[in-house]
Amino acid sequence: MRRINLALRLARREVRGRLSGFRIFFACLVLGVAAISGVESLSTAFLTGLAEQGRTLLDGDVVVQLVHRTTTKTEGDFLARHGRVSRTVSLRAMAYALKSGAEAERQLVELKAVDGAYPFFGAVGLDPVQTLALALSCDGQVCGAVAEQTLLDRLHLAPGGLLKIGTQVFRVRAALKSEPDRISGGFSLGPHVIIGDDGLKRTGLVTLGSLINYNYHVVLAPGETIATFKNEATAAFPDGGWEIRDRNDAAPGIRRFVEQVTSFLTLVGLTALAVGGVGAGQAITAFLDRKKEEIATFKSLGADGGLIFLIYFFQVMGIALTAVVLGVVIGALLPFAVQALYSDKIPAPAHFALYPRPLLLGAVFGLLSAVAFSVPPLSRARLIAPASLFRDIVAPADARGALPYLVLAALAAVLVVAIALVLAPSPIFAIEFLGGTAAGLAVLRLIAEGVRAILRRLPRPRSPAPRLALANLTRPGSAAAGVITALGLGLTLLATVSLLDRTISRQVENRLPGTAPSFFFVDIQPDETARFDKTVKSFASAKDYRRTPMIRGRIVAIKGVPAKDAVIAPGARWAVNGDRGITYAATPPEGSVITQGRWWPANYTGAPLVSFDQALAEGMSLKLGDHLTLNVLGREIDATIASFRKVDFSTGNQNFIIVMSPGLIDHAPHSFLATVRVAPGEEERLFRAVTDAFPNISTIRVKDAIAEVNALLQEVAAGVRAASLLTILSGLLVLAGAIAAGSRSRLYDATILKVLGATRLRIAIIYIIEYGVLGLLTGVLALAIGTLATDIICREVLEMPLDFDFGVAALTVLGGGFVTLLFGLVGAWTALSARAAAQLRSP
Amino acid sequence: MHNSALAINLEDVTLTLSSLAGPVSILAGVSLRVASGETVALLGPSGSGKSSLLMVAAGLETVTAGRIRIAGTDITSMGEDGLARFRRNHVGIVFQSFHLIQTMTALENVAVPLELAGVQDAFARAAAELEAVGLSARLDHYPGQLSGGEQQRVALARAIAPRPAVLFADEPTGNLDGQTGADIADLLFALHERTNATLFLVTHEESLAKRCGRIVRLNDGRIVADERSA
Repeated sequence: MRRINLALRLARREVRGRLSGFRIFFACLVLGVAAISGVESLSTAFLTGLAEQGRTLLDGDVVVQLVHRTTTKTEGDFLARHGRVSRTVSLRAMAYALKSGAEAERQLVELKAVDGAYPFFGAVGLDPVQTLALALSCDGQVCGAVAEQTLLDRLHLAPGGLLKIGTQVFRVRAALKSEPDRISGGFSLGPHVIIGDDGLKRTGLVTLGSLINYNYHVVLAPGETIATFKNEATAAFPDGGWEIRDRNDAAPGIRRFVEQVTSFLTLVGLTALAVGGVGAGQAITAFLDRKKEEIATFKSLGADGGLIFLIYFFQVMGIALTAVVLGVVIGALLPFAVQALYSDKIPAPAHFALYPRPLLLGAVFGLLSAVAFSVPPLSRARLIAPASLFRDIVAPADARGALPYLVLAALAAVLVVAIALVLAPSPIFAIEFLGGTAAGLAVLRLIAEGVRAILRRLPRPRSPAPRLALANLTRPGSAAAGVITALGLGLTLLATVSLLDRTISRQVENRLPGTAPSFFFVDIQPDETARFDKTVKSFASAKDYRRTPMIRGRIVAIKGVPAKDAVIAPGARWAVNGDRGITYAATPPEGSVITQGRWWPANYTGAPLVSFDQALAEGMSLKLGDHLTLNVLGREIDATIASFRKVDFSTGNQNFIIVMSPGLIDHAPHSFLATVRVAPGEEERLFRAVTDAFPNISTIRVKDAIAEVNALLQEVAAGVRAASLLTILSGLLVLAGAIAAGSRSRLYDATILKVLGATRLRIAIIYIIEYGVLGLLTGVLALAIGTLATDIICREVLEMPLDFDFGVAALTVLGGGFVTLLFGLVGAWTALSARAAAQLRSP
Repeated sequence: MHNSALAINLEDVTLTLSSLAGPVSILAGVSLRVASGETVALLGPSGSGKSSLLMVAAGLETVTAGRIRIAGTDITSMGEDGLARFRRNHVGIVFQSFHLIQTMTALENVAVPLELAGVQDAFARAAAELEAVGLSARLDHYPGQLSGGEQQRVALARAIAPRPAVLFADEPTGNLDGQTGADIADLLFALHERTNATLFLVTHEESLAKRCGRIVRLNDGRIVADERSA
């Protein structure tokens, strides 16, 4: 204790000296801590908002969702016994604008039909303001509807205009501004339209087998709990095919999205801290270099190595603590800044407040990183003998730190990783990300040292400018390795993200048009098939026309084990999480590759057999002959697995993970799904022909859907790129730090060269070569490692070939070169502009 | 003395530098003429302006007023880069603190001014210069690997390598112990003998000054004595 007190006292005195060399260390820590605490605070604000608003977002305490069918009387009675019930019906449909003299414009919409009780919580925002009941009421032959402004714009309608949906005419009584339960609905393919139950009945769209979701919103009676409701529902209707959601997880999609984005951004924040750590190592080495005389003096006065370590450790930790506090303050303010700037653009509810946990997390990450990166260089100071401190001007001693100190640093690093893994929603992704970052850092460092060793062994250029530039890069204590590592990691991340983005975008753009259909037609009724086939086939360019029966159903048990209890790999879990499209076929669907087993005979009508997706089967440990239990329209069907197929979803064609044998399922009410490819010139005509003749069929233009997906991809890619800029920023800070640390020796060299007759241009050329080589080298290394990482991700995860992009390559290499050169020349400006006499006067 | 035969010609040179406490007069109307091949020692107490006078004469400092001609060239109004080019061809400087480039070997340090002057066989000549100062075994050593005396020898070889008209030396033995200092002084005068460069030596050591043909004494920025040595 006495020793620690002494070290603290001495450290306090030492701090009176200049700590300016730590500005970059300080800035990197502030940046990393602010990023982590800010992102985590923002995420907590959203998750708290979602939790608090769960009842409104779901419009009830629980929602029971049924596909294809309404509740039976017993089911309805059960719901009514547990509380107040409201029903909404959601489906996709075509909406037509009715205007005299004009050809009807049409658009696929997300249609929601509501009863008089909707909504239980919150209010539907309408313009002009009116009650929802009034807006949806039927008046003679015409019913009311409210529609999002996007639909009104696309169909060139205004409130008061007429819409036709199915066979019913609706008057748009108001623009739909907001729905309290909008975000719990999931992904939308078109603008939202709300109509009343009466209106829905008149559309003629409700037929057995149509793809319709019925949602029963229940506000539980006093004394009822979600758990008891769920237990009783499962006990009463074990085969009902009920999908029950509750207010505690009202918008699982949004929650998962927020959690995953948070995890990614936190990992990026950690990468920024790691990049900053490289700079911290440099700053501390340079700091100790300046402090050699003091350290030697302390030692000559009797301070031992341990005390020396503590004196400087406390100083560095003092700086780290200040930086962490500042970072935490910025992080705490971030949600409020977002609230002030973007409150009108935030789609999900958020509760902006001061949350201690995210701030504590940022602080812990910051302090542990500071320990991990500062202890190794600090520990070297204690091992250096006073004599070598005095003499070792050019070549810093290469003494390694003592083992206990390295263990302490490693422990801090392990703790950072462990906390990150514990908190990550997807630990495997976190391990891969952090492992990739660590590998990237190690590889960059190794290559940087290797390149320096090679450069040192190269014959020295005869011309002084390149020789001095090369000498600056390879001299002992040069910051080149640190810059290559730190800036290189940021650039590697950017190159990886950009290459992935390009590869995926091109995959979507280039691969689909050749093989993908032009249209998907959903909800073709059995009695329409002949007429529909004729309509489509009448188009000269129609190709690859396929019409397949489709029914929605859910896998409820695997080998007799309820799906929720079955052991399923995370990658296959999605297949049992909700309803899936099921088809039946006498012969293998076109393009199917049977990997195991045999297809049933064409005339087979025996006990249900199933052909299942090979990849999912592996995730569920299924083998031929195993049983899958499916719930279709509330009825359970037990099917035996007869074969496995390889399903390629990337072609954009019809693909079903479950194909059943005919005989039982074809008796269930179902509709058909069709796809066709036509020449681009005939697309519009086909669209109009089908939508004119079959108003009940939802027609989805693949081009539009791809554009939607691409737009979403672009937004995600832009967000990820923006996040990776954080590491670039850290890398640039390290670069600036390295340049600042070398400013004294640069000024000295420039002065001597001026004395010897070098002009400023000649000296500038030295720096241009030095920083140009450093930057280009960093860019090339980042590109190489980024390309390798992207290639691994493409092969192992995305299963698509890497699409190398020369634009990204040029941007990485030249960008790296340019920023390094720019920073280097700005840093060298002092040396170039300083007058030799002034420097010689005060050495 | 004819102007063209003058290696150094200072006319009424004034140097005033600014400081936080206001302008400080460093040199106050110094006039000095040094003939080619002459050896001149500039003596004076600390703060008398010796080093400033050397810097002004070597084109490292721009004067406030007055006129400077070195080796027949008026450098008074030359810009920074013009002065650098002038030094490259006409001036060699040796410093008290050696001022070698730490990232270059001894050979490279000596070759730099020759390379800047565009000399083709810069390295061969640099090696010869180092051999002449007794460092042929230290060509590939970095300054950090050399003793103080050896570093000053490299600095001397570097200063004399381009065969300057004038060799300026600012306290060249100031950072060295007695014997090493004496060896460097011997070397300095031997190089002067060999190249016949004008030697302008700033020192506060009377014994070293007496080895020069002429001693100029400076006090408070003014020349207070100008005498021939015995």
